[in-house]
Amino acid sequence: MSIEYIPGDTLLHRLDIRVKMYGFLGLIILSFIFQDPLYQLFIVTLTGLLAFWMKISLQKIGRMVAPLIPIIITIILITGFTFAPERFGQASNQAILFYVLPGNRLGATVGGFLMGTTFTFRLVSMMIASSVLTLTTSIDDFIQFFQMMKVPVEITMMLTTAIRFIPTLDKKRQLIIEAQKARGVRFNNKGIIGSIRSHLPLMIPMFINSILMANSLSMAMLNRGYGLTRTSTSMRQIRFSFKDSCAIAFFILLLTSAFFVRFKLHLGVL
Amino acid sequence: MEHSELVQLKLNIETSVGESTPTEAEYGGPLPLEEVGVLRLDKNAIDLNNVSYRYPNSVEPSLRNVSLTVKKGKFMVLMGSTGAGKTTLSLCLNGLIPQLLEGKLTGQVCVAGKNVGRTSIQSMSKVIGLVLQDPETQIIGRTVEEDTAFGPRNFLVPFNEIKQRVNEALEKVRLKGYNRRLTEALSGGEKQRLAIAGVLVMEPGILVLDEPTSELDPLGRLEIYETLDDLRRNKDLTIVLVEHSSQEVIRKADEVVVLNQGEVVWRGVPSELFRNILLLRKFGIKPIPVSLIGWYFYEKRWISLAQIPLDIPSAVELIRTLLPKYGHWQGNEQGDEHVLKQVMNWSEKAIAVQVNDLIYQYSPGQSALRGINMTIEVGQFVAFIGQNGAGKTTLAKHFNGLLKPTCGEVIVEGMNTLQYDTSYLSKTIGYVFQNPDHQIFSTTVEKELEFGLKNAGFKGKEIKERVDQVLNYTGLERYRSVHPFSLGKGERQMIAVASILVLKPKLLIIDEPTTGSDWTGVQTMMGLIRKLHAAGTTIIMISHDMDLVAQYAKRVIVLKDGEILLDGAPQDVFTNEQILLDAAILPPQLCGLSIQLTDILEHETFIEASEFTAMFESEEKPGCL
Repeated sequence: MSIEYIPGDTLLHRLDIRVKMYGFLGLIILSFIFQDPLYQLFIVTLTGLLAFWMKISLQKIGRMVAPLIPIIITIILITGFTFAPERFGQASNQAILFYVLPGNRLGATVGGFLMGTTFTFRLVSMMIASSVLTLTTSIDDFIQFFQMMKVPVEITMMLTTAIRFIPTLDKKRQLIIEAQKARGVRFNNKGIIGSIRSHLPLMIPMFINSILMANSLSMAMLNRGYGLTRTSTSMRQIRFSFKDSCAIAFFILLLTSAFFVRFKLHLGVL
Repeated sequence: MEHSELVQLKLNIETSVGESTPTEAEYGGPLPLEEVGVLRLDKNAIDLNNVSYRYPNSVEPSLRNVSLTVKKGKFMVLMGSTGAGKTTLSLCLNGLIPQLLEGKLTGQVCVAGKNVGRTSIQSMSKVIGLVLQDPETQIIGRTVEEDTAFGPRNFLVPFNEIKQRVNEALEKVRLKGYNRRLTEALSGGEKQRLAIAGVLVMEPGILVLDEPTSELDPLGRLEIYETLDDLRRNKDLTIVLVEHSSQEVIRKADEVVVLNQGEVVWRGVPSELFRNILLLRKFGIKPIPVSLIGWYFYEKRWISLAQIPLDIPSAVELIRTLLPKYGHWQGNEQGDEHVLKQVMNWSEKAIAVQVNDLIYQYSPGQSALRGINMTIEVGQFVAFIGQNGAGKTTLAKHFNGLLKPTCGEVIVEGMNTLQYDTSYLSKTIGYVFQNPDHQIFSTTVEKELEFGLKNAGFKGKEIKERVDQVLNYTGLERYRSVHPFSLGKGERQMIAVASILVLKPKLLIIDEPTTGSDWTGVQTMMGLIRKLHAAGTTIIMISHDMDLVAQYAKRVIVLKDGEILLDGAPQDVFTNEQILLDAAILPPQLCGLSIQLTDILEHETFIEASEFTAMFESEEKPGCL
C-alpha cells in the first residue's frame, strides 16, 4: 500500500471523505459475505477498474503483490489442508483430492483450496481499494474525517503536527549526518553493534533537537491559544453534494443486491 | 515555597482571569499596589514592577528587579548580550514564565491591564502576541491558511470571520494569496512572517518579537524589517523587539532598553546609546561602523558627542569638514604597494583547492552550480558571500567530499574528492557547520573533542595531548568535564569548532560561524579564526555579515545562481555596487562611505575605521589591514 497522495480532480478526488470511507466499508462487507472465488474475482475486477480509472499502473499493483506471493501460497496450502470437508455445503467442494499422511490423515479438499483463493482475492482487492483511497484522499481530508468521527482534538492535533514535522525532521537528519560525516563518522559499519554504535552520533543529536523543537513548539502553541477550549472551529464546511448522494445510493443498491444474492438465493457460498 | 509555587502555577493554568488572589506568601514578596497599576493602565501597554526571575536549577537569577513601562503605540527595542535576560523578559510578558516554565518569579507583570500571573497564557494571547526566534517550530499547520487559522480556531471564532481575519493577517505580513501554499515549502523569511501572521490574526494590541531575524539570511531579514515598518504605520500596535542589528534598531526604535545580566542598565533614545561607544563596549553591543570614526574625532575633542555620525551622509559631511583642518592625507602610494605585495605572496604558495569546471545538480536539470573554476592557495582567507540558494554551501560541501561533482573535478590538498570519502578527507579538511546542536552528542566537552580523533584512528596519548592543546587554544579548558548542553550557544559553537580543530585541518571551512551570536561572541570567534589563519591554516568562511567579511577576509568570492560573480580583494569587490545589488548584497557601511569619498581617497577603498582615522594621524602610520 502506498501512502502517497496524488493530487487530481477526478470524481473520486471530489467525493466527500465520508462517502469514500463508507464505500470502503461497503467493499469490505461485500468481500466478506461471499466465499466463492468467482464472486471474489468480480470484486477484484471492480477494484481493478477503479485503479485503472485512477491510472494506477498494473506494474504498481504487481509490485505491491509480488512480496505477498509467499504469504499467498502459504494461505492456500494451509486452508487447503486444514478445512475439513464438513465445512462445505456443496458436495463437489467436499471432495478430497489426496492425503498427505498415511492412514487418511491431513487430506486436501477442493473447497479448502477454493477458500484459499478467496482469501487471496480478498487480500488483493483490499490492497487495491485502500491504495485507491489513499491516492485520492489528502491527509487534510483524513484528519477532517477523524474530527467528524469525534476523535478527540488532541489526537487529531498530534497527527497533524506529526505529519507537518516529517519534512522538518528529515532535513534535520540530513544536516546531522553531514555534520558528523565531516568529523569522520562512517555510517555503514558492519554488524548490529557496529551499526548501532555508528548511529549514536546521529540519534543523540536527533533526540536533543526533537526535544528542543518540541519545547518551542509547545510555547508557540500556547502563544496561539491552544488548550483554551476543548474544541476548535472546524475549518471545512460540510459539502455533501449531489454526487455524494448518488455514490451513497449506488453503494446501498450494490450492497442490498449482494445481500439478496447471498442470503435469499444462497449463492456465492462454498 | 517551591510547593506553593507549583500549586499557584496549576491554579493559574486552570483558572482564568482573577479567580484566585494570591496571598503575600504565595506571591513571594509584598503585593504590589493594584490601584497604582489600574491608574497607569490606560497609557501603558506593558508595566513591569520590580520583576525578578530565576530558572529552576539555576543559581543566578536571570532577571533582577526589572521595572519597565512601555507606552501604548510605542516601538521599543530590547538589546543586550547573550544571557542578558532578553528572552526571559519576553517570556514573562505573556505568562509562559511562570506558567509553562517553572522557577521563582517575584514582582508584578501587567500587560494591557491584565495581571499576567493570574491570566492563562492562552487568554493573554488575545492581547499580546509573541513571536519566537526559530520560525520552523512556530508553524503548526500544513498549509499557510491552516496555520494562520490555528489561533482563532482555538478561540472558537466563527468560520467566516476566521476566513476574513486570516486574509487580513496574511496581507499585513505581505503573504497575501499564499493561503493554499504548503508551509514546508516556504523560505525562512516567509516562515517567520507567517509566524507573525499567526499571532496578528488574534488581533493583539501588543506584539513581542524575540530576535525574529536571528535565523534568517539577509533577504529574509529585510522582509521582516519591511513587515515591521508596515506594522509600525498602524499606530495602535505596541511593538517590543529583541534585536542585535544596530543599524536596524536605530532606524526604527522609539526607545532602546539595554539589559545586562538581568538588569535594566540603560534606557533612552537609540541615537544617544549608539554615540556612546564606551557604553556599547560595556554592554557587548555592536557599534555602528561610522560611529567609530566619529568616536575618534570625539576623543580628539574635535567634535561633541552629539556630532558623532550614525549614518553615511553625516559621516561624509563630517570628514569633509574636518579633513582640511586636521587631515594628513597624502594619497595612497603605500596602499598600492601593499596590495601588490600580497598578490606576489599568493603566487608563491601551494594550491589548497583547485576547482575545474564544476557543475553540480541536486536533481537532473536543476543545476546548483554551473561551471565553477577557481583556485585557492594555501594560507588564504577566503569568504564566500551571496544570497541563500546562491550555491555557497553547495560549493563548500564539495571541498570535503560531502557532495561529489556531477561534472568537473575538485582537488583539495592534492586529493581528487571523487577518489576519497568524507571520513578520509575529514583528517585534512575541517568543516564547521552553522548549528552546533547538529553534532554535539557526548556527555562532556572533552569526550566531544575526542570523538573526531577516534574516528581518525588516533590512540590514547596522542588524543589526550591534542585535546588538551585545543581546549587551551579555544579557552574551553574550564568547561572540560561539563555537559555541552549546559553551556550557552556561543560556547557550543566554540565546541563545534574545537571538535574540528583537534584534527589539525590544513583547510578549515566555517559555515556562518557567528549566526545568532552577540557582539562579544562574534569577536571571540573571529579572534580564534584569525589566530588559526595566522598559524597558516587556509580559511574558507561563508557569511552573511558583510562587516565581518570586509574586516577579516583577504579575498571575497561572490556567488549568484551557482556562478562566480566577483572574485577579488574585499576593497575591490565591495566597490562594485551595481553587481552587488544584482546579487542582493549590501556592501559594508565603511565601503559605502569610501565610495562617497572617492574624490578624496583617489579610488582607494577603506574597510576599517582605523584606515579612515589614519588620515588624521599626525605621525606617519600606514593603515594596515
